[in-house]
Amino acid sequence: MGDLFRSQEMTLCQLFLQAEAAYACVSELGELGLVQFRDLKPDTNAFQRKFVNEIRRCDEMERKLRYLEKEIRKDGIPILDTGDNPEAPNPREMVDLEATLEKLENELREVNAYAESLKKNFLELTELKHILRKTQTFFEEALHDQHMTEEAVGLMTEEGMMAGGQAAGLRLQSVAGVILRERLPAFERMLWRVCRGNVFLKQAEIDTALEDPATGDKVLKSVFIIFFQGEQLKTRVKKICEGFRATLYPCPDSQAERREMAISVMTRIEDLNTVLNTTVDHRMRVLMAAAKNLRLWFIKVGKIKAIYHTLNMFNVEATNKCLIAEAWCAVDDLDKIHLALRRGTERAGSSIPPILNRMSTREMPPTYFRVNKLTSGFQSIIDAYGVASYREANPSPFAIVTFPFLFAVMYGDFGHGTLMFLAALWMVLREKQLAPTAKLSEIWATFFNGRYIILMMGAFSIYTGLIYNDCFSRSVNIFGSGWSVRGQFNQSLTPDQIRTQVRGIESLQLNPNDAQAKAWRANPYPFGLDPVWQVSGNKITFTNSIKMKTSVVLGVIHMLFGVFVSLTNHLHRRDMLSVVGEFVPQVLFLLGMFGYLVILILYKWAVYSGRNSNCAPNLLIGLINMFLFRYDKATNGCPPIYTGYQGLQTFLVLLIIPCAPWMLLVKPLILRRRQQMLARGGAMMGHQQPQPQMQPDAGVDGGDQTELGMGQQQDGGNNIHDGDKAVDMGAGYGDHGEEVDIGEVFVHQAIHTIEYCLSCISNTASYLRLWALSLAHAQLSEVLWGMVLAIGLKREGFGGCLALFVAFSFWALLTVVVLLLMEGLSAFLHALRLHWVEFMNKFYKGEGYKFEPFSFARAELEM
Amino acid sequence: MFSESMFSVDAGYLEGLARGFKGGILKKTDYYNLTQCETLEDLKLHLQSTDYGHFLANEAGPLTVSVIEERLKEKLIIEFNHLRTQATGYLAEFMDYITYSYMIDNVVLLLSGILHDRPIKEMLAKCHPMGTFEQMEAIHIATTTRELYDAVLVDTPLAPYFADCINEEDLNEMNIEIIRNTLYKAYLEDFSAFCQQIGGTTAEVMQEVLAFEADRRAFMITINSFGTELLKEDRKKLYPACGRLYPGGLEMLAQAEEVEQVKLVADYFAEYRVMFEDDGTGMDKTLEDKFFEHEVRLNVRAFMQQFHYGVFYSLVKLKEQEIRNIVWIAECVSQRHRAKIEAYIPILE
Repeated sequence: MGDLFRSQEMTLCQLFLQAEAAYACVSELGELGLVQFRDLKPDTNAFQRKFVNEIRRCDEMERKLRYLEKEIRKDGIPILDTGDNPEAPNPREMVDLEATLEKLENELREVNAYAESLKKNFLELTELKHILRKTQTFFEEALHDQHMTEEAVGLMTEEGMMAGGQAAGLRLQSVAGVILRERLPAFERMLWRVCRGNVFLKQAEIDTALEDPATGDKVLKSVFIIFFQGEQLKTRVKKICEGFRATLYPCPDSQAERREMAISVMTRIEDLNTVLNTTVDHRMRVLMAAAKNLRLWFIKVGKIKAIYHTLNMFNVEATNKCLIAEAWCAVDDLDKIHLALRRGTERAGSSIPPILNRMSTREMPPTYFRVNKLTSGFQSIIDAYGVASYREANPSPFAIVTFPFLFAVMYGDFGHGTLMFLAALWMVLREKQLAPTAKLSEIWATFFNGRYIILMMGAFSIYTGLIYNDCFSRSVNIFGSGWSVRGQFNQSLTPDQIRTQVRGIESLQLNPNDAQAKAWRANPYPFGLDPVWQVSGNKITFTNSIKMKTSVVLGVIHMLFGVFVSLTNHLHRRDMLSVVGEFVPQVLFLLGMFGYLVILILYKWAVYSGRNSNCAPNLLIGLINMFLFRYDKATNGCPPIYTGYQGLQTFLVLLIIPCAPWMLLVKPLILRRRQQMLARGGAMMGHQQPQPQMQPDAGVDGGDQTELGMGQQQDGGNNIHDGDKAVDMGAGYGDHGEEVDIGEVFVHQAIHTIEYCLSCISNTASYLRLWALSLAHAQLSEVLWGMVLAIGLKREGFGGCLALFVAFSFWALLTVVVLLLMEGLSAFLHALRLHWVEFMNKFYKGEGYKFEPFSFARAELEM
Repeated sequence: MFSESMFSVDAGYLEGLARGFKGGILKKTDYYNLTQCETLEDLKLHLQSTDYGHFLANEAGPLTVSVIEERLKEKLIIEFNHLRTQATGYLAEFMDYITYSYMIDNVVLLLSGILHDRPIKEMLAKCHPMGTFEQMEAIHIATTTRELYDAVLVDTPLAPYFADCINEEDLNEMNIEIIRNTLYKAYLEDFSAFCQQIGGTTAEVMQEVLAFEADRRAFMITINSFGTELLKEDRKKLYPACGRLYPGGLEMLAQAEEVEQVKLVADYFAEYRVMFEDDGTGMDKTLEDKFFEHEVRLNVRAFMQQFHYGVFYSLVKLKEQEIRNIVWIAECVSQRHRAKIEAYIPILE
């Protein structure tokens, strides 16, 4: 709680790292993940920094690793993930790693090049095989087709002539080849155009997809054979073939030669296959070996790169012997950081320990909360509004309770709450198994990361659902209702008889004042709403009144709490002026107006009952009249709400009204006065007079500086320098007396005052959304029950079974989609708004920035 | 009927993407950093911190300017195709129109390659990937323009533009230039008409950009024709008739015989006058650079309006200018020719 309420106390440190130990030290700090380094050279280009060559080497290694990964994935080899986390290797090991990767890459590239040439060969042979096979069928078809076209006749005779080996005057030449199937139509068209229709093309599809040797993709191709006449056409045809990247193959004219060639091609394919297989095996072995280490290599290289990136942010000392870094870290972690630095020095074998100085600065430190699995969700809700200013009260520890509670006030339903709770419980119990899946889908990740919030929301909804006595819009009668209809019937009747009689009656009146009917048994339902309201005609009127008033009560308490949190902020800063000038009038304003209203609400609930309800005053009208000082004389014979209320109310109004100018003027006026006094005093005593009470602080800072006991001399200058800084800061922080523009303060205060006064009223009204959403949810679930499930329940017999089955599935689906998801989201958003706006504007500035430590674990998550 | 209110139904998402891509265009400070680079490796390192990200990360071996250029173009193509594949209706057609100008360039490039007996493979590598088309590689079967049309271009979208330059003459240097300019003229006029057909803000924005493009071509044709055997009547036929110079300015340009006369024509148009004036800063910018600068200004301005297709055109043009800039800087860096490194054309502040 303490950790979460205020952010960690941070300090700016200066680190002097020996050049040879810097790498190991940063590596240790990266494992630790508790230090945020500052970029000391923000204006320097990425390529002008000291370790740019190392980073390039890392980039190169990463490129090789990616190449390996691509090849491994291409072959579908699983990449071993042992889950262990190797340390960042030494710079010396980096050279080894580089060499290993280089060797591996070269080997792989060699194998690939060899395999590619083999595959290309293989592809050519396969294509040739297909050509031979297909052309064979072309010719055979031509021979057997009785309805031959003119060209075909010519061809056949030519073919016959050629087969016979006779030279003819008119020879047809042919070209055969293979082309990508999708390019065939354009190819054919162009061929026809260029040769003016003087060629004959026959094509057939190759059924099996062939592998492209360069990319490894499967491509579909077609075989074609073109017949033409004359040399000129031949060059043209060849040019077009080249243009469309068709591969041409020699195709012998006679059938015998073709058969012979086919046989030789087949044997060559067989031979090639065996060679290819051994190559593939070799490649497989190389990749398998790489796959075992790939993940570790990736992590190692990533770490090296991160370390050099960090080192690049450091300043190099003039003698080039050490690196100077500045970093933010939590004061509590200093010991751990020292230890890590020492470990790093030992690892590097350096004799001179690193030096860590605390520095004082005027800069606002980063905001750092130590969160766990439960609190991180709520913290992220707060951070989404704005990261807390340094050491400001953090609303998230309260939000852990108030957020689910306000959600549940709107969502209150026992049944829905249970479903939500169970769903969240499942996510919580199986979080280890489910965690990896969260990366897959953004929507799922949202739910998964909010599992603890959902769990709490579910639990609170069960609680409020019990109070509202709502379970899927039905009430549960556990303890027995406090109301009875028995008195209105003949006393001699048995309960069963009464039941049958009641069924016939349209409506019954249960009047608590009717002594004869004894409708009210005078034993209230012990917990929550009496189930009898579920069947009553004025249920809505009754619950509306209760829920509306509850909303106001909860809202005022919530806001008042917010104002009190602002008190802790003022006290933390020892800012008594703000306590007197802001907090006190704020509390009086809120209490005088709405605190009084809350008391009246509770009073009205306690005092007025069924007997004197006709005298119950209207609180809203009463509140308005209070500010108008208007009190009606006509009371209709009722007593006033309490004696002397007019006097008290007049007093309250007179108390509230001055609060506004109080808030507006007191603080700026006192500030101005202080400034004037300081100016006068400063003129008398000389300007360089630091605030005396702040000096001890500065002393502490100075004392810490030599914690490691080394490098005293070189620190001397720094010491004095930092001491000055600390004093400066102290003066600025202790009071606002330094050069502040008073006009600005006035404007700021005016805005603040107006905002507060107006928002007290509008925010109270805003809390009525608790009632509205709750009403909407209850009504929606009731409609769903009445319009869907009830229809199924009313039928009887076999048809009823079916109807119930259908109705239930509809009802269940709609319950999950509309009531659980949609309504849940809506209530969530409203609860979020109530926190961000109504609660947090009372005290929260949110002007800080997040602490983002240099951490390997974090870098890996982002990868 | 084009209505702005319905724009986002089909093109809203894509416009958003286009504006996002535009957000990645290098700023002044980026260029400043790039010009500081000592080697191409430095250049790569700096580009990593921009929207280009790790586009060079998987390059093995020493970097060369041509590799950088190739990757830059590849990135542009990926982005463009991403938009193009999702575009429908008018937008799809509009984006196809953008590619036509690259097709024209490619055709001309290949033709001049054939003329000089360069191997087709080498020429293909130089073609802009945005303007590739299926029949492109078979272009070397053409020896006359008629053949070129009949065999290659007839199936491409460029066919209608080509109708004016079909004759039986053999291809020669002059011919090719005429083909290029005739194609461009027809293309610009057609594109302009298409934008008018779309109407609305698209027409407004594109009108301005295309008019400038047309006028620039008219000026350049005139200036480049001095000292060649191109006849005045033939030259006049090459002027695109969709610019601000049309018709009066073009008439005068057609009569021009030296640069001074061209300058006189430009004097009538405020925005062109400054191009021909010596701005007196001592920076001897070429006319071409000034035209480029003006083009960049117009294209940046196109992003000021919403609900129109002009952003897609402007995005491509700006990205192309950016590629030219980076390549220029890279060339200067690799050739250690730092004096001229500042001669890039800044795009965004």
